[in-house]
Amino acid sequence: MIRFNLNGRDLALDVDGQTPLLWALRDTAGLTGTKYGCGQAACGACSVHVNDEPVRSCALPVSEVAGQRVLTIEGLGATQLHVVQRAWAELDVAQCGYCQSGQIMVAAALLATTRNPSDAEIEAAMSGVLCRCGTYARIRAAIKRAAELA
Amino acid sequence: MPAFLRSRLSRRSFMAGSATVLTVAIRLPALAQNTPPPAPNRHPAAFIRIAPDGKVTFLLPTVEMGQGTQTGQAQVLAEELGVDIRSVAIAVPTQPQPEYRIHLFNQMRSVGSYGMRYWHDPLRRAGAQARMMLVQAAADRLGVEPASLTVSDGMVIHAATNRRVPYGQLTEAAARLTPLAEPVFIPANQRRYSGQRIARLDTMEKITGRATFGIDVTMEDLLHGAVKLGPVYRAEVDAIDDAKARAMPGVIAVVPAPRGAVVVARSWWQAKQAADALEIRWKPTPHDTLSSALIDAQLRAGLDRADVPPSLVRGDAGGALQNAARIVEADYAVPFLAHVCMEPITCTARTTAGRIELWMPTQGHDEVRMTLERALRIPAEQLFINSTFLGGGFGRKTDGESAIQAILASRAVGGRPVKVIWSREDDVQQGHYRQTMMARLRAVLDTEGRISAMSIRVAGPQMGRNLGIPVTNNIDPFSLLGLVDMRYQIPNLRIDHAVVDLPVPMRPWRSIAHSFTGFFLESFMDECARAAGRDPLDFRKAHLAGQPRMLAVLDRVAQMSGWSTPAPAGVSRGIAVVDSYGSPVAEVVELRMVNGQPRVERVHAAIDCGRAINPGQVETQIQGSVIEALGAALRLQITLKDGRAEQSNFGDYPILRIDEVPEISVSIIETGSPLGGVGEPGVPPLAPAMVNAIQAANGKRVRALPVLEKLG
Repeated sequence: MIRFNLNGRDLALDVDGQTPLLWALRDTAGLTGTKYGCGQAACGACSVHVNDEPVRSCALPVSEVAGQRVLTIEGLGATQLHVVQRAWAELDVAQCGYCQSGQIMVAAALLATTRNPSDAEIEAAMSGVLCRCGTYARIRAAIKRAAELA
Repeated sequence: MPAFLRSRLSRRSFMAGSATVLTVAIRLPALAQNTPPPAPNRHPAAFIRIAPDGKVTFLLPTVEMGQGTQTGQAQVLAEELGVDIRSVAIAVPTQPQPEYRIHLFNQMRSVGSYGMRYWHDPLRRAGAQARMMLVQAAADRLGVEPASLTVSDGMVIHAATNRRVPYGQLTEAAARLTPLAEPVFIPANQRRYSGQRIARLDTMEKITGRATFGIDVTMEDLLHGAVKLGPVYRAEVDAIDDAKARAMPGVIAVVPAPRGAVVVARSWWQAKQAADALEIRWKPTPHDTLSSALIDAQLRAGLDRADVPPSLVRGDAGGALQNAARIVEADYAVPFLAHVCMEPITCTARTTAGRIELWMPTQGHDEVRMTLERALRIPAEQLFINSTFLGGGFGRKTDGESAIQAILASRAVGGRPVKVIWSREDDVQQGHYRQTMMARLRAVLDTEGRISAMSIRVAGPQMGRNLGIPVTNNIDPFSLLGLVDMRYQIPNLRIDHAVVDLPVPMRPWRSIAHSFTGFFLESFMDECARAAGRDPLDFRKAHLAGQPRMLAVLDRVAQMSGWSTPAPAGVSRGIAVVDSYGSPVAEVVELRMVNGQPRVERVHAAIDCGRAINPGQVETQIQGSVIEALGAALRLQITLKDGRAEQSNFGDYPILRIDEVPEISVSIIETGSPLGGVGEPGVPPLAPAMVNAIQAANGKRVRALPVLEKLG
């Protein structure tokens, strides 16, 4: 049993500790908003927050989040849309949408520490999250819009 | 048959509980004349349903993979029907009936930038017909003239008496009426959806993690499958040692499948660990030593072959080239490309007696059906394909291989549902690539600096035959579109295709043949312009008499980029124009050479797609196309060694990141041309515009992709 706090609720998952957090979330906890893209922390589609820090869940054994706080896309806007999600909706960022959970989680972590990120700060934070549809221009604009809305 | 739907079908009533549902069949263009109507005991293939609660369901065979088509289709329908777009639900049919098939393929297939241009007119007509039937039903009920009624947000309104009747109360009466053959459309100046920047209907699901992609499908008793497939294409299994895998935690079954095996386990991670632990010996194949060097040599030999039948002959290009004093000649090459959709290949299957149910992010419903009929002898009527969102498609997700794997896996565990997911490495290494191609272009310039004759030899596989599409007159559209239908006016022209069969599984990539024919022809036009001492824009225009749409996008992009004024210091520009999928697109690339490598700073794009149903989506499709094409042209390729792919994941197949993309400005031209496609036409001009800009910068002509490798 691995115990941790997921989206504000304590839970215990009956899963091997070496299982990457990604697959524990998807196949055991049943939260599929976090996506598999590469399995080697190279694309960012699996990004979640652990204790408010963005991490790649595909390369993190679930045993390492024991006793920690994990936030996924399902928990980010659970009560009301997060400011990043509001900006994403306003700018209609998503195309296929598959990478967008990861994009939004990393953007939310950026804005939590950097209130008005510059282009360089946006690039530094977001360059680890790949978008195959090429929604980058709208991602950049939406992060700036979220900073205004915050 | 008039431009009209068959009344026998359109008057059908569907009983939903005790209430009648109005359905209106959509007449399919091109096919309706020679396709028999659906059997009476079957639902009309494509239709709109209006339920008594006013909910509109629209059944149409285009899946949503990011291209925005479903929002665009809902815009057109909601406009003509007079309903709130948010009341429209879109469902993709579960069986690929003939009525859903698009031409060229004669398959239900979400490809070819057809989503809007193919379905717009029939959808608009059906929406208008349904509205007029509802209005007539309201007129009968209220005892007034239809002309005195208006519609708004799913209500018929009699303004004079302030009476309103919701559509849901009119469906039963409307369903007894005959649709008008020529319905009256909503006037252009009253449109509220079609042509507007409407927000995508799927945005909220996609930003909250609620959207269900194929990989997200979940259901009771679901098991998970991972694959281990032969590293050499088409290698069959000789022997499997699965003792170690079977002993691993969570493993339920090891299931032989074509080219390898599927491991079924309680979670995908367990299945993947066990698949990696499988020991499989594969039978030798003739391709075990295949390499990119060998393939390149075969393609180069194809360029020199003397026995290739013509695909297109106009005038006497051969004679003109033989007698010419001066010939411009160049060879070009493009590599294999992988699609790397962010969502990897996946399929969920549940098998019970007489019923195979799939949940799948597929662009190719009929290809999946045909593959299963052939490989597993599954009758079409027993197959149900539930379409999910696709996490990208780009032409990759049309095949049925993962469906075979999921079905075999499900059968092996007593019919329980099994979700098979390929790893990223499987996705990158297991083929289905955009084909590698070479071309040799030769031209004669006349004394006025115009091309009087051109010959084009293409060497490479026939993608069309690879897909089971018959090739007639030596024209494989999947190899030659963009050349045999080129817009340039050249009096003497010969095009042929030296076919080189390759054992690598191949599948079209965004913009299909145009992804390389655009590079060949538009690079060569620039080389000819240089040889003629002409400006590349003027040179192209001189060969485009009678092509107003091509000229319009060129003029627009020239204006956007300030083509006629010098570029800023250190910046060079390149231009290209390609007409594909009904939409000419011209692009100008602005770049700087930094340490001998191009840094693209800005791309200007002008598209004439006839009319933009959703300008915001057109803009974002063109931006995405430019980014995709730029990443590929700069640094992406699949190379082979010892019969297997040398690349495996994003580390060695590095698509562009946010800090690597240029500013991209998009301009949409609307001149009343027929509706064109949008998802693909932005791709082809980018690579040639970039290499043209590189030559403008440093005089070096890059004739093979990817650019960074070839620049050295």
